[in-house]
Amino acid sequence: MKRILITLTALFFTAFILSGQDSRDMVSKCALGIGENTTYLKDFVIKLMAASSGSETPVYKANIYLMKNQTYLFTMCNGDGSEGELVLQLYDKEKQIISSYNRNTDMVYSALEFVCNKTGLYTLWYSFNDGKRGNGVGIVSLLK
Amino acid sequence: MKKVNVIVLTGFLISLLFSCGGSGNRVANFNFPESDSIPINEAEKLSQEAIEDIVQNISSPVEMASLLQALEVPFFTEYLASTREADGLSTNFQKALQLGVYGADLGYLNIYEKTGTAIDNLATINKLADALRVGQFFDFETLKRLAVNKTNIDSLVFMSVHSFNEIDEYLRENNRGYLSSLMITGVWIEAQYLACMVLKDFPHRELKDRIGEQKIVINDLLLLLRPYMNSDDEFSDLYSDLERIKTSFRPVEITYIPGDPETIERNGRLVVIQNETSVIMIDDDDLSDVIKITEEIRNKVIANQ
Repeated sequence: MKRILITLTALFFTAFILSGQDSRDMVSKCALGIGENTTYLKDFVIKLMAASSGSETPVYKANIYLMKNQTYLFTMCNGDGSEGELVLQLYDKEKQIISSYNRNTDMVYSALEFVCNKTGLYTLWYSFNDGKRGNGVGIVSLLK
Repeated sequence: MKKVNVIVLTGFLISLLFSCGGSGNRVANFNFPESDSIPINEAEKLSQEAIEDIVQNISSPVEMASLLQALEVPFFTEYLASTREADGLSTNFQKALQLGVYGADLGYLNIYEKTGTAIDNLATINKLADALRVGQFFDFETLKRLAVNKTNIDSLVFMSVHSFNEIDEYLRENNRGYLSSLMITGVWIEAQYLACMVLKDFPHRELKDRIGEQKIVINDLLLLLRPYMNSDDEFSDLYSDLERIKTSFRPVEITYIPGDPETIERNGRLVVIQNETSVIMIDDDDLSDVIKITEEIRNKVIANQ
């Protein structure tokens, strides 16, 4: 019994650490792809369940200060096994400024540039297209 | 009986595993002694959680430095906080606040590729992070190697900023928001100080605007600190100092000119140009006051007074 207990505890902690490590790897991999002339600022690791029938698409929201006269690059990376593609909508209070999903063409963009001319607190809404289950990373960087 | 125990235990461990699954890039939870967490009542705790949700990114250790570099302003070593005082820091309050100050300096050093000086700064940050028991997020050896090699500045910037983000997130999620708020305050004070010092010699309009628009940010910074303002004398003192900075911003006027965003597609990316603009108005005397008070308070912070 003692041996089983030790083994299970070790397995638990190994899995836990790997889970954190996986997220770190996912962030590092995504950060590698943000391209040249960028300065990394912040990342968001997003894991969302699928929307249940009739309910709204699950959304991960994060507030961030964006400064005037800066161009920000928002990069979205999908995790391994993610069923949906990560979509970003940028809000200035209640007003949506941009979405990385184009409804007309059904296209999901993996990168958005935002030329900011108004300093303030903005909200990033991350979700997965069609309310699918998914995991991914959103990175915010500065374009030089 | 043994079989039942194993099944129950397995179920428990599995349920624990899944309950932690949503925490993304979190690392295992550790229990910290009471001295690290300031007891706050439930109502305050709730409001603090709400505030932390409101503002996840008040101040970045590299954003101001990036602006200075973009304006082609030269680098000034004399603006950096001395790392010599770090050994004399006795309280967690001082350590967390200074961690933020040195973090902003590290951002400034890295953006300007002054990696030789950055090593000293990295060592100090590593020491403070260990003292606050968040050293697991700061891979000193790798950062030092990147700084010495000087071949991959982008990785150095990424790793150092990411470490700070992880420390901040970890502290907030482990009931140590008290320390996180101090670290963020340290970053903000130092970044604002760097901008103020540079502006004295290089009066760029953009820099003047960036300083003035901190009038918006300082309100949220004070909100973040408010739950702890009466927790001890050090905190009350810091809060009063920041209120003095806030007061110095009172004459700054910020107006908004409406406009609809334009969207274009360039090289497979969506590019959005915001046409709503903010206009900052601050006269030179008022700006001098902001600079004077910021300088005074920042110097007080690094002197641990």
